Amino acid sequence: MTLDNLKKTRAGLEESIRQLIGHAIMIVELDLFALPCGCSGYTANTRGLALDDLEVFEEHFLKQLKGSAQALEISSGFVFARIIPGTQEIAALNIRELCPRCYSDFAATSGKRPRPDIYIMHLEKRKH
Amino acid sequence: MNKKLYVPHPGHFEGLEQLLGSSKDIYSIYMAGSPDYIGTGRVNLGHASLEEVAKHTQYCHSKGVKIEMVLNSSCMGGQQLTNEGYNLLHWYLANLEDIGVDTVVVADPYLVEMLDQQFNIPSVVSVLAFVDSPQKAEFYEQLGASSIVVDSNVNRHFDVLEAIRDAVDCELKLLVNEGCLYRCPFRYAHFNFFSHVNGPPPRPNVQDDYYYNKCLSLRIKDPSLIIKSPFIRPEDLEEYAHITDVFKIGGRSHLIHWILNCINAYSIESYDGNLMDLMDCPKDLIDVFNIPNKALDGAIQQWKRHSTVCHTCGYCQRLAEKITQTYNRMGTPDEKLEQWTTIMKKGIET
Repeated sequence: MTLDNLKKTRAGLEESIRQLIGHAIMIVELDLFALPCGCSGYTANTRGLALDDLEVFEEHFLKQLKGSAQALEISSGFVFARIIPGTQEIAALNIRELCPRCYSDFAATSGKRPRPDIYIMHLEKRKH
Repeated sequence: MNKKLYVPHPGHFEGLEQLLGSSKDIYSIYMAGSPDYIGTGRVNLGHASLEEVAKHTQYCHSKGVKIEMVLNSSCMGGQQLTNEGYNLLHWYLANLEDIGVDTVVVADPYLVEMLDQQFNIPSVVSVLAFVDSPQKAEFYEQLGASSIVVDSNVNRHFDVLEAIRDAVDCELKLLVNEGCLYRCPFRYAHFNFFSHVNGPPPRPNVQDDYYYNKCLSLRIKDPSLIIKSPFIRPEDLEEYAHITDVFKIGGRSHLIHWILNCINAYSIESYDGNLMDLMDCPKDLIDVFNIPNKALDGAIQQWKRHSTVCHTCGYCQRLAEKITQTYNRMGTPDEKLEQWTTIMKKGIET
């Protein structure tokens, strides 16, 4: 993974979402992260993207997000959107490789909205 | 035209040296103080202590430039009316008076009257007092205001501006580049939020600024909202000469280089570049849209006689479709500009 690759991935994801939903959106920041618990992944902070867009085109979004994760050599076992609670505003799209503890927290929940700010698009179940 | 430019100062001394060392066109700088005493309606980066305010004041005056302190919290949660709140504000204003700041900007009528009655510092009514009529302007003048920053919502309502000019004798200031939504529905809630975030404790600890995100979303989807925003282009200052010669440039949270670019544009009354370069808020949109400022030449004539009912007028909508370009693949070798309307025509790629 290089910085050029990161820039291209940000631009490519932004472009593909624009084409998908038919209006401009922004990915104001694409961050790779590693947390103390062991989770790692990327966060794409978005502006102009609404929950309705995501729900209508969820399959297509998932494909784009998994593709971008692959480009950054990140496992896409957990894909979710962070929403400003109580609104249509999507603050970020996230790909995360969950640590065992966080995996067990999320795997134990059911439904797409385990918290008011989280919309789960994909959670790969692990074999115990 | 001869004019007085009030210029934002982020609050650090090096920044002030750079500002005053690089431009001869600054009449006054304005800056926020410490949020521990009173907040401001904007993001406050500097948190200047009284000692620092004194140092900045001395430096400004040595350069022949005035200094204005911005204490324009739009909500103080009622604390200003408590004994403790009054004592704290009184103590802070007395210190500012001793330091010798030239003017103080406030949004609360209570503070306008307090300044008039108890201090020898001219008060400036903030844009966050939303003075958008001659009646409100008269009220504030009678309360003791020496200057009023007119609500930028009426920047293109020349009939209202002229009525305010007729109604009061005090100085009027126009904020030229705030860039907020015309008749913004978030305005009161957002500035009240800012006032607490950038004011005395307890400060809310929020992850996302809903109002800012929503404001961006609306404009990303519909850039005509940018054109409708009541900014005043550098080229159009002359149109306001019969109202005032005092103009305020917004942008306290920007870098010095950005501020200097704005000062230069408004000083020479011309800017050949992206309009977004000059807009204080929202700054993120500079990475989405290119709106050539010069393509707006002459639009002021339409705005001067415009209907305030956008959906029956449509001028800004048509103009936006004609001139707005969107950056695509920004930050990569494939970066390009395309008309924003073309994005809507592409449809779904599966």
